Amino acid sequence: MKLFKDEPYGTTKLFFLSSAVWFVIGTLAGFIDATHLAAPELLGDIPWIVFGRIRPMHTNLVIFGFVGSALLGTAHYLVPTLVHTPLYSERLGKASLWIWNVAVIAGTATLSMAYSQGREYAEWIWPVDMAVLTALAMMFYNLLQTVVRRKEKILYVSTWYVFGGLVFTFFIYFFGNAVWNPGTGAITGMPDAILAWFYGHGVVGLFLTPLAVASAYYIIPIVSRSPLYSHTLSLVGFWTILMIYTHIGTHHLLQTPAPTWLKVIAISGSLGMLIPVATVLVNLWLTMRGRLGYLHADIGGKFIFAGLVWYLLTCIQGPLQSLPVVQRVTHLNNWVIAHAHLGVLGFSGTIALGSMYFILPRITGHSLYSRRLADVQYWLVLIGMAGFFTVLTAAGLIQGNGWLNGEVVYRLLPQIHVYMLLRVSIGILIVGAACIGLYNIVMTLRGERSVTETP
Amino acid sequence: MKMTPTLIIIGGAAIFAVVLLIVVILPWTTISEEPSEIFRPRTEIEQRGRVLYVKNGCTYCHTQFVRNIDWGLGAERIARSGDYIEDQPHLLGTERTGPDLSQEGGEHPDDWHLAHFVNPRYVRPESIMPSWGFLGIDNIRALIAYKQSLGFTMADYRVARQKHWKQKSIEAYEAGPDDNVKWLHERVPEPWRQLPNPYPTTAAGLQRGQRIYQGFCIGCHGPIGDGMGPAQPYLYPPPLNFTVLRDRGVSGGIFYYQIMNGITGTAMPYFKRELESEKIWDVGNYVAVTFIGQSDAGRPPRGIPAAYETQPEVRE
Repeated sequence: MKLFKDEPYGTTKLFFLSSAVWFVIGTLAGFIDATHLAAPELLGDIPWIVFGRIRPMHTNLVIFGFVGSALLGTAHYLVPTLVHTPLYSERLGKASLWIWNVAVIAGTATLSMAYSQGREYAEWIWPVDMAVLTALAMMFYNLLQTVVRRKEKILYVSTWYVFGGLVFTFFIYFFGNAVWNPGTGAITGMPDAILAWFYGHGVVGLFLTPLAVASAYYIIPIVSRSPLYSHTLSLVGFWTILMIYTHIGTHHLLQTPAPTWLKVIAISGSLGMLIPVATVLVNLWLTMRGRLGYLHADIGGKFIFAGLVWYLLTCIQGPLQSLPVVQRVTHLNNWVIAHAHLGVLGFSGTIALGSMYFILPRITGHSLYSRRLADVQYWLVLIGMAGFFTVLTAAGLIQGNGWLNGEVVYRLLPQIHVYMLLRVSIGILIVGAACIGLYNIVMTLRGERSVTETP
Repeated sequence: MKMTPTLIIIGGAAIFAVVLLIVVILPWTTISEEPSEIFRPRTEIEQRGRVLYVKNGCTYCHTQFVRNIDWGLGAERIARSGDYIEDQPHLLGTERTGPDLSQEGGEHPDDWHLAHFVNPRYVRPESIMPSWGFLGIDNIRALIAYKQSLGFTMADYRVARQKHWKQKSIEAYEAGPDDNVKWLHERVPEPWRQLPNPYPTTAAGLQRGQRIYQGFCIGCHGPIGDGMGPAQPYLYPPPLNFTVLRDRGVSGGIFYYQIMNGITGTAMPYFKRELESEKIWDVGNYVAVTFIGQSDAGRPPRGIPAAYETQPEVRE
């Protein structure tokens, strides 16, 4: 594996390695976050990991570093494979990868030095934004040139999602970070809140979701040895996610003085999200129905299946909690944090891991270093995710109901303390899973094979 | 439908353009930019504090909008769009790990904020906010100026009131314990001063009072009630040493009123939003019994004993 050399699937390999590294660092940052909330004095007063700085470091690391890198690596495998044409330029691919990684490193470092734009998931400062946009544009060009030169004329649904996702991610990142305004990366007043949540919701929903769905659409039929159930459902799912997902950011602002008509659009859109979600999941479910044995025999398929179950839960919860009557209790507390983990770690993160384990043997030419370690990681992520969800939802309900009942924030802190401790303990499982994954992926890329396992 | 690269890319971009127009550009151009009735521009130091607030991620734990379902800090003012016309970036926030700050200005005097920034647990023992001493005193002064501006002209009224009573309370403190206690008691309305604690001392009540004392009072008044808690070096006038209240005519009613209402101007906040009636009586009596050694709890004049009371002497 060479850093810049032209080799088949070199870009994908390096993206996967980056993802594995960022998974460790990103979850470690989250672990420190959780520690602050359980024991604020434990780590002393270290400025560069103080809660307000390491929290955005964590969210951006897991979105762009861990899940983003894995899914972009997957896209660089899926598209060439599906159109039976080598990637247009591995050199360009690797250059875009390095710019991407420089952005993640620079974004994380500058946040720790308190250079932040202060809007969720748009915290990275202007120079880092430029690097992200450059990398996205290079990847888009590279994949587009691959498709233009394609030998297979028909484009499979995964390719649609990759291109749809890249186009939307580029524009939403561009507008969401208000890059024409480098000083603050924001516009002014309530419109800024609206723009920030158009971005904040969209960057997860239109970057991670389409790329994760693309991967599931590719891997599920292969591992379940069954053709995709319906082309029509794929079409409906693809166009409706682009049309509907983009409208719903203002459901983060239902209790603020945002315009009522916009709130109505956001709530309707959030309920409408059931259409693309249901079509994708029904389509994939009918593809793999009766074949879960095949699916779980493959470590990649197993992760992808778990990711889709989390997707179902996320997308039942999402529309429900966009209803004002539900938000009276769930807004502004740990319930929302539980939902965020469900979407990024449970759904797209688990699919990202599954994609790496599915693709790695196919691009390295040999099997994983250890299937058993990958299985251990699977269970750690599964138990950890279920644990996060339970603990954070419970804490959120205590906060939300307490506030409605007239309890002040301070009075409820001792009541959620035990949940914050549990969250730290569960965090150990996730950090452990990340370390195991890094070891497994590094050893696989080096072409090693665990001596304790016979093929 | 035949899916081609052109269709996907042009179709995607077209959808993006339409949606951007509807959900961003349209509200951006139609939201009225009229300042609300409480709005005023920020001063230079307040703006500097706001930049620090953005850079250090205060917004991850503190919202800046009050909802019509809220109680607690700032609940006197429901957020309006015109409050935010100069905010870039917006700081509405998504989490309330700490309280909403949209009306924080003037809730506390500057010295309370200084102690709180150096270590929040100095004044709020159960807080999980980080300590910000590493920012340096200049930056903390700017952050305090920003916090005192939150609420605009409503905050300005409160800040002016804090300053007025700060002056008075310092004069009283510097006049010595006799005059200070007399001044403090005279700030309490007469009927409250005459009111004994209506509930007799019980062991359980003292334990409840101790729990409240540890969660709310210990940072300033200290573990032995001598006013030498960890916040003391930052506060002036300093927290009250409860022993000076001995033989100076304190009553259960005075305790209750001052815990409920606070002593504006000093670092003593009001607790009426945080503690219900029983907790206030219990912590007041805990202080009276433990640190002063004089309590009027259960003394006449009193009405019919509450149903839970079991002390034989109140059967009469």
